[in-house]
Amino acid sequence: MAIKQKYRWHSRLTPWILILPTLIGLVVFRLIPIVSSLVLSFTKWNLITDPKFIGVKNYTELFSDPDFWKILGNTLKITAGYVVGGMVFGLLLALLVNNRIKGMNFFRAAIYMPVITSAVAVGIVWTRILGPKYGILDFLLGKLGITAPYWLQDPNLAIWTVTFVQVWKMSGYYMILFLAGLQAISKEVIEASVVDGATPAQRLFRVTIPMLSPTTFFVLTVAIMDAFKNFELIYAMTKGGPQNATNTLVYSVYLNAFSYNRVGYAEAIAWVLMLVVGILTVFNFYVKKYWAQPLE
Amino acid sequence: MVAKRFSRTVIIILLVLAALVSIFPFIWMLANSFMSEDQIFALPLKFWPDKLFRKGMWDNYREVFSNFSFGLYTWNSFLVSFLAALGQIIVCPMAAFAFAKMRFHGRKAIYTLLLMTLMIPVQVIIIPEYYLMMKLGWLNTYLPLIIPSFLAGAFGTFMFISVFEAIPMALFDAAVIDGASAYKILWRVYFPQATASTATLFIIAFMNNWNDLLRPLLYIIKPTLFTVTMGLTRFQNQYTTKWGLILTGSVVSVLPLIVVYIFCQRYIIENQMSSGVKG
Repeated sequence: MAIKQKYRWHSRLTPWILILPTLIGLVVFRLIPIVSSLVLSFTKWNLITDPKFIGVKNYTELFSDPDFWKILGNTLKITAGYVVGGMVFGLLLALLVNNRIKGMNFFRAAIYMPVITSAVAVGIVWTRILGPKYGILDFLLGKLGITAPYWLQDPNLAIWTVTFVQVWKMSGYYMILFLAGLQAISKEVIEASVVDGATPAQRLFRVTIPMLSPTTFFVLTVAIMDAFKNFELIYAMTKGGPQNATNTLVYSVYLNAFSYNRVGYAEAIAWVLMLVVGILTVFNFYVKKYWAQPLE
Repeated sequence: MVAKRFSRTVIIILLVLAALVSIFPFIWMLANSFMSEDQIFALPLKFWPDKLFRKGMWDNYREVFSNFSFGLYTWNSFLVSFLAALGQIIVCPMAAFAFAKMRFHGRKAIYTLLLMTLMIPVQVIIIPEYYLMMKLGWLNTYLPLIIPSFLAGAFGTFMFISVFEAIPMALFDAAVIDGASAYKILWRVYFPQATASTATLFIIAFMNNWNDLLRPLLYIIKPTLFTVTMGLTRFQNQYTTKWGLILTGSVVSVLPLIVVYIFCQRYIIENQMSSGVKG
């Protein structure tokens, strides 16, 4: 919105006074730490003695460590699984709750509830549900004659179990975002497609989903950012184990910096994380150009 | 007609199923908090909590509150979350008002930087932040839990920018003609128009701080200062198999938020929807 300043209604200083707290926060708690992180990634440091400059040694050590590649791989697996899972369930749930049915508010609220509860409590209760022998899921599967795998103890499965719990927790959020998009699609377009004799499947794939693409792009952006927020869940469920099977970049930054006192090394991991987020963001905007048309 | 009724039935069945999958873990959490250790490790599994409506029903709760100070943790969480959320609903509208209604040098640049920091995972900034807090002597205080959230509320700022931009210009013009100062226009004209957003931001900030784990884990060492989310993880690490008590602690840690949520869910969901369309 253009602001026409016919005369001064505030002094030159006023906007600066208003944004001062935010500006301080931006500089002190965001910009300076981001730059410091980069600088510190070229040092050997334990938070107590002075940091010692060691060039790119942290990075060379990192890239020659098979554990690092495993952790990076885990991060990409969780991100992919989470983004796809969250978006698919989010969309399906949105299509489901976009119907006119009595008591729909209750259903929406119930499905959204895991979003607001703490990942720690969620992680704990799922650990209990998925627990071997005494867990309720294994018990129920046993009744059906299925021998349940070790959800969190099997190194090949654990990462997908954690991803599932994260998807379970957040799908309600994407449901609401998709629902907003669905409700913004004009009824006339849908009705026109019905008049033209489109089947429900055609309506979904040829009309609804294409028209939803700006929302889909938005949800994709948000989901990618959320995919890296798994510290709490991993801390509560697996602590990165078994054998690093669920260790991710965000978790290993914490481990290296605050458990192993390898702060410079942790910062190198943090900057790899930063790079991954950066690449995904750029990719995302690149895709957007070919994909999403703006809403009318 | 038959097809329509059939699809309606399918929809309702799927809805019930989805709601059940979403709520069941919380019900199971609650059920476990009324179970004895004997029942938790009994096979075959029994679903009905053995202590529910019986003698010793509140045993787990009594233990969690009296032997493990979950009452204190809950109060601590409340204090931290309340102050951090209060900070956001003061600071965010201020910055948003400047961005939405005023022209000043560097406006675009600061706005862009703020937007970019939204994408950055906390792990990238946490180590320098920790060092800063250590040098300030703020370890083992609530300042590191409150101040960053207080000052760096980019999400809230963007939310208020869109709210302020949607307020009719006529209101603004009238206030300017009346000779109101910029601060008066902000707090007396614009801020009161944004009550719903203020409430939503408060709730979201409150929840984020309540649920935060990383910062309490790093900054708080003294047990009397533990927040409930962090206290719960300490408890879990210490008593790995005491599921009755751990899940009772979990109930205590999520219940206040769930109660708030039940009363405010329409607010929260509607706000999420309107911010979604903006995207």
